[in-house]
Amino acid sequence: MTVVRPDPGSFRDPSGQVFRRGNGIFRTVAARAAADYEFVRDSGLFDRLSSKGLVLSTAEVSPDVLGPVAAASRYLLQHPLIRFISYPYEWSFPALKAAAVLHLDVQLEALEAGVSLSDATAYNVQFNGPRPVFIDHLSFRRYRDGEIWAGHRQFCEQFLNPLLLRAFLGVPHNAWFRGSQEGLPTAELNRLLPLRRKLGWNVLSQVVLPTTLERSTRTATAALASDKLGTLKLPRSSYRALLQRLRDWIVRLDPADTGKTVWRDYAGNHSYQSDEVKAKAAFVGEMAAAVRPGILWDLGCNSGDYSKAALAAGAQYAVGFDFDHGALEAAFARAKAEELAFLPLLMDAANPSPSQGWAERERQGLAARASADAVLALAFVHHLAIGRNVPLDRLIDWLVGLAPTGVVEFVPKSDPMVRRMLQLREDVFDDYTEDAFLSAVGERARIVKSLIVSAAGRRLVWFDRSE
Amino acid sequence: MRAELPFLGLMALVAIAFPLSDARAYLDPGTGSFILQMLLGGIAGMAVVGKLYWTKLKLALSRALSGRSASDDAENHE
Repeated sequence: MTVVRPDPGSFRDPSGQVFRRGNGIFRTVAARAAADYEFVRDSGLFDRLSSKGLVLSTAEVSPDVLGPVAAASRYLLQHPLIRFISYPYEWSFPALKAAAVLHLDVQLEALEAGVSLSDATAYNVQFNGPRPVFIDHLSFRRYRDGEIWAGHRQFCEQFLNPLLLRAFLGVPHNAWFRGSQEGLPTAELNRLLPLRRKLGWNVLSQVVLPTTLERSTRTATAALASDKLGTLKLPRSSYRALLQRLRDWIVRLDPADTGKTVWRDYAGNHSYQSDEVKAKAAFVGEMAAAVRPGILWDLGCNSGDYSKAALAAGAQYAVGFDFDHGALEAAFARAKAEELAFLPLLMDAANPSPSQGWAERERQGLAARASADAVLALAFVHHLAIGRNVPLDRLIDWLVGLAPTGVVEFVPKSDPMVRRMLQLREDVFDDYTEDAFLSAVGERARIVKSLIVSAAGRRLVWFDRSE
Repeated sequence: MRAELPFLGLMALVAIAFPLSDARAYLDPGTGSFILQMLLGGIAGMAVVGKLYWTKLKLALSRALSGRSASDDAENHE
């Protein structure tokens, strides 16, 4: 029998826990959460939301299916597998924005059905390609008349504030969010925002006031407990208006740094010829058609040309990684417009997301999520070998270790791109040669096919270590 | 902003006294968010808040008369 593993990130809410067995994802529903679950299920809300693609679909299965770990559970739910788990600090601005809008849409529809959400964590949103989906069925509770939005602060810290950081200050949220997993504290954003930004009602009500109020309560006396205060309520119409107003605001947010980032116009301006791009796409397509990878990783995906080629040729799902925000935003927009099964994520290959959070296991690092059936690394190796001084041999070792097969491009020193990288620095890269590259790959895998794709001598290599 | 501070301080008391543990969520909504939502919701409990404010004032006065400053008290809660 396949091993049942508890999801190390599923522990905060005692209402239930997520387990994985093989490719099956299961969620227990504890006795304490059963009444809420039954109410929401019977209201038809889960069905409505999942038919619209807003919430992950779910099916009740017998707790016996999972064995002893689910024995005390009232219900056991099974969900479809998310192809690649990603975290908000890996999302591009438009992805985080889409996730924020999804959260609010789910809440607005839930509220109509007399249901509220117990939290507003961004980690409860995952992506299927560019489409966000809400994954936590145990966040849904019966709405109680007059209750406040308990997740409001969390929503601000994990969705709104990171978006405002980029929209108002032109600073991407990713590095800060990665270091501060609960998101960006409102008080800290308040300190950063210039006065002119604070004059509008949205910022005043969502950033300035909560900060001021929070500070006031810290310095005031706590001697005034009164049971009568339990009667204070937030009317449902105000709850709805708060959600709707945030939604209207967030939909309008765009990055403030409209200038070009390093790669935004790469597809139009780079030193390749379009014949070269076509040749590469054909090479990638040949590999994808032969391998038919369930999951393809595309390192240095840029705007997703080669992921798209691989998907067209037979890959089922592509996860792209790039460190450039402009490229990722272009890739996300393309995946959305062309309905590609392609999820572009922010990742610096020289410093990938680490395993972190509680016990360093709550959020998994890139290595712990390694699941690729095939990898692409086009116009990638020189950025790490020369741009980041990673020794070529170690770099190839890492790359070939990511997936049993894939396509890697070698860009020689004679290429205009590499020449430019070396223009202002000493060339200390004696080992950066095509021979060294080919022998590093050859030591670890069979070279299925190899092709020169540019006049300057760029070479593609299809490796396979699966045999 | 300065003119709003007394009112905000008043509202802050609501948060202190409101039994947050009564909320069903396993999540702490935070006092800033809570009071904000009371403000946005139009505040049905103005009488309660007024009473609180009055109590707060009396406490501050009694502290002042007994020689302890309110700021001392605040620091004790930091």
